[in-house]
Amino acid sequence: MKRKPCLIESFDDSNSFEKRLKAAFRSKAAETTSKMHKNTIWYKSVQSAEKSCLKQDKIKKIHYKFEDAKEMVEEYNVDTQVLLRRAWKVKTELGGDGKWDVEIGDPIPDATPHVETAEIFESNDQPIVTRRNTRINLEWRIRNLPYPIETYSISANNEEKCIIIRTTNKKYYKKLQVPELMRLNLPIEQANIQFSHQYNTLIIVYKKPQQLLDMDKDWYEELKQVKPVKDIPNECQTQ
Amino acid sequence: MASLAAAQVQEVRSITRIERIGAHSHIRGLGLDDSLEPRAVSQGMVGQKMARKAAGIVLQMIREGKIAGRAVLLAGQPGTGKTAIAMGLAQALGPDTPFTSMAGSEIYSLEMSKTEALTQAIRKSIGIRIKEESEIIEGEVVEVVVDRSAGGGGAGAARVGRLTLKTTDMETNYDMGAKMVDSMLKEKVQAGDVITIDKATGKINKLGRSFARARDYDATGQQARFVQCPEGELQKRKEVVHTVTLHEVDVINSRTHGFLALFSGDTGEIKSEVREQINSKVAEWREEGKAEMIPGVLFIDEAHMLDIECFSFLNRALESETAPVVIMATNRGITRIRGTTYRSPHGIPLDLLDRAIIVPTTPYDHHDLREILNISLRCCETPTSGDAVRPLRLEML
Repeated sequence: MKRKPCLIESFDDSNSFEKRLKAAFRSKAAETTSKMHKNTIWYKSVQSAEKSCLKQDKIKKIHYKFEDAKEMVEEYNVDTQVLLRRAWKVKTELGGDGKWDVEIGDPIPDATPHVETAEIFESNDQPIVTRRNTRINLEWRIRNLPYPIETYSISANNEEKCIIIRTTNKKYYKKLQVPELMRLNLPIEQANIQFSHQYNTLIIVYKKPQQLLDMDKDWYEELKQVKPVKDIPNECQTQ
Repeated sequence: MASLAAAQVQEVRSITRIERIGAHSHIRGLGLDDSLEPRAVSQGMVGQKMARKAAGIVLQMIREGKIAGRAVLLAGQPGTGKTAIAMGLAQALGPDTPFTSMAGSEIYSLEMSKTEALTQAIRKSIGIRIKEESEIIEGEVVEVVVDRSAGGGGAGAARVGRLTLKTTDMETNYDMGAKMVDSMLKEKVQAGDVITIDKATGKINKLGRSFARARDYDATGQQARFVQCPEGELQKRKEVVHTVTLHEVDVINSRTHGFLALFSGDTGEIKSEVREQINSKVAEWREEGKAEMIPGVLFIDEAHMLDIECFSFLNRALESETAPVVIMATNRGITRIRGTTYRSPHGIPLDLLDRAIIVPTTPYDHHDLREILNISLRCCETPTSGDAVRPLRLEML
């Protein structure tokens, strides 16, 4: 069965005013969506935060101080422009220094383990979630998960704004928050999720949506304005 | 041979479970009935009815939050139950009301000034109930394993335990330190219980037994409550109500930062700026309805050991709006006030005495002494015949 040609498709006049208008509108629209992230609360807050920069070998470290007394540290690889680590420090309700809470990257080794916390902690052989993003993907690595790949089911849950990992043997269950998407107010798409399992590690990969890629790029450009501190005491390096 | 060793280990373990016995271990409360009338022998208390009734009235006023900023003086001869009444009061107040106990001579330390020691004691006696978001582990106990670390055997050996918890969706192993193991044993946590653990404070809360275990025993206690096994993740963030003392907040905010925090067990003096800052913060919380202040009790034993500086400081401190109830105990009659040449009843200046409600205790008679001896012997689990108690009693008189 042959499809009837649609009127607009068949209308073959490139100079038509209507078409030019539409094209112009479309490009404008594309431009606005690509700049949409600049209006998010997140973008504004990082923009207004007090920033300082430190360059060490191939790593650029940025320290943010927000208005609500939160602190954040980011580490970028200068060559690949990939964010290696992002950590937060939030003051507790009663005051006092909070601990660094790592959002992306390997956890910071604790120099004073379990000094003040109560004496219960997960065993060393229990699953640990770490984040390690690449240029195009958001990545979660869950170590110490020995079960075969058929065990896992991973689903996007937009009601609770998280990715849920379930296991058929009822040994592991985890809700993964996706702060990057939450900041942009984007939904989590099941189609963007992929996962693989090897060496006792479950790797979950989420393809970065275009808006996120745009924002990362813009923000990296913006960070170039923050001048790195010149005199780093080199001898002070530990070990 | 192996069985012998096992038996020995078993014996050692069972001993560590018994609590140590002190002079006031047998006291569990003031021994009053609902209308605050003292029972003859109750909750480890014997005789001293007038003083106990007075303490009961004070207790009720503390509970209603009406007595903050007052002083109570327990006066009486040595061994007439002054400290016992204070301990009973602390027990009756419960764990949520801060009760600080100190001896008068404790303030003479080279580490900090007298007024600092008193301020810390006062701030330790004021509690704040505040809602805080905290990490909670909630699940059904699959297994609790307690084992001694290698090379142990003595009472001081660190015990380490392992705890397996599950929800309907997952299962996780936890390692526990000695303190956690102790509170597990105290709460008698066993497989099949559904519990919550506050990860920050280590507080254990038993919710009940899992439905899945309902058929384990034919006979279950009437108190056994059956609950569903929780769902989802084991660790959750929840808002919980904590009671912290003002002193604890001070310490959190004045800690030396970073690596040095490891070595500074004692906080030493706390800067007055920090305290002012915290006072205004607490006032802010109270205004917003985020926090509630609980005036507690500061008990100063041997109050005649305080000197004139402390007394005038106390006098001043009692006037502030965030003052605890100060209970003092002394066994002196008219004596010199420390630091002066003046003589005064109980060695306490008259202006402070005027503020205080004086509760006298009187010496026990034969009857009471026999009861007390019986109670403490029972507490020590020492069977003693009546003949043996008599010379003990004479000794005490």
